[in-house]
Amino acid sequence: MQAVAGVDLIIGSGEVVAILGPNGAGKSTTIEMLLGLVRPDHGSIQVYGQSPYDAIAAGRVGAMLQSGGIIEDAKVGELVGLVAGLHPKPMPAHEALERAGIADLGDRVFRTLSGGQKQRVRFAMAIVPQPDLIVLDEPTTGMDVETRRAFWQAMHAETARGRTVLFATHYLDEADSYADRVVLMRHGRVVADGTASEIKAGVSGRTIRATVPDADLGRLAALDGVRTVETRGDVVLLQCADSDRVLRHLLDHTTAHDIEVWSPDLEDAVLALSDAEEAVA
Amino acid sequence: MNLAYLRFDLRRMVRNKRLMIFSILMPLALFLVFGTHTEGARMDTGITAAAYVMVSMAMFGSMSAAMSSGGAIATERDGGWNRTLRLTPLKPYAYVASKVLLSLVLAIAPLVAVFVAGVAAGGVRLDTGQWTMVALTSWLGALPFAGLGLIIGYVATPDSVQPITGLTTMMVAAFGGLWLPVENMPDVMRDIARLTPAYWTGQTARSTLTSAGIDSRALLVVLAWTLVLGYIGLRRFRADTARA
Repeated sequence: MQAVAGVDLIIGSGEVVAILGPNGAGKSTTIEMLLGLVRPDHGSIQVYGQSPYDAIAAGRVGAMLQSGGIIEDAKVGELVGLVAGLHPKPMPAHEALERAGIADLGDRVFRTLSGGQKQRVRFAMAIVPQPDLIVLDEPTTGMDVETRRAFWQAMHAETARGRTVLFATHYLDEADSYADRVVLMRHGRVVADGTASEIKAGVSGRTIRATVPDADLGRLAALDGVRTVETRGDVVLLQCADSDRVLRHLLDHTTAHDIEVWSPDLEDAVLALSDAEEAVA
Repeated sequence: MNLAYLRFDLRRMVRNKRLMIFSILMPLALFLVFGTHTEGARMDTGITAAAYVMVSMAMFGSMSAAMSSGGAIATERDGGWNRTLRLTPLKPYAYVASKVLLSLVLAIAPLVAVFVAGVAAGGVRLDTGQWTMVALTSWLGALPFAGLGLIIGYVATPDSVQPITGLTTMMVAAFGGLWLPVENMPDVMRDIARLTPAYWTGQTARSTLTSAGIDSRALLVVLAWTLVLGYIGLRRFRADTARA
């Protein structure tokens, strides 16, 4: 089974790109190949026209991996200082700490930090080489809402300096609020690629919510124009390709009342696109 | 060579009190027990018993310090740290080279401690040439053990690395004649001692104090041990890097 097949993306400099997808979609594998941690079975990977290793050695790529991978008994300042010391053109370690919002944690041992603080240390390690491209794999895992917001603020200060950011996430709202562009992955393929609003617009159809006592679910599901049916007690949720036709049926042939119709948000778009992909596969 | 990694390791090692105590205080204490109150006794080779014990304990200290740097590899390997390092320009070979260098740097403190005790408490008097040779041979004698530490670092898990390193160090030191002179032991113990690298590193360092000068056969055996252990260590390292 291939984790990733035929991912074809051109990312311009200064873009903030989110790779969005459920667990197992191939997000991490794509990122690990980009960083040279995993070799592709076929083909080759080039970053800025060179191998991933050379791009990293030139200080052009900074990365933040998911949990693990840090020496727990090292101090924060030592970790960031080490990464700075190994790269050719780093910023001073204390500046990276400041930008990551952890200037006061330099003397703390990594093990004693909270989850959110640890992620900020990883972030400081990613930006200290002054890279052109920052790659982040699920960067806000383990952060509370407050910390997450602060993290993305720090992140945006970096993109304002012209750095390109590529991040994997399974949080829709993160992709929606922080990325210029969303790449939706599923089963190792790119299912959609565009701004969040383009992706939303690309999905036709509406969602209908109605109270239908004793609804005949089989019948509803079989209706032309219905994609999926969900129920919560008497309330029926219908994802529709053609909501007008479904509405007509509800009003003419059922006791449906309290009917609401709305356009998809990014989450619906993702589900719809994923289902479409499923149907093709 | 980039020394950032060596600096990073050293700062953490110095913070690790258990390591410092084991590698400095233990040889020092053993010297104070066995190397003082020798009443000017001399070994068959003509060197004083105090000097003999001093060199042996210095060698033991530099050996156990060198072995401990390999232990760090086991811990770093386990937590995915090498993945993080692959996001930096540090080459895998530079990592190993840095660990070997770390072995040599860590070996300095116990050597100095035991030599100072030798002069102050053991009444050891050597001329400058002898001090230079003794210091150099017992310092570089750490190299085969840096190789052994490397092997252990790539074979052991974080849980097992401390007992394995500790036990190996003690076995090698005891059977290799660093703790008690094999010259005073039964033949069978001498034969066993010759199978250990510690016997030959001790022999090389001590021989620099005799009138006959450095024991070239012992030196060759030390070189052979260094090559063999270094080669196995590098193979383990390469197998591990290929898998990661």
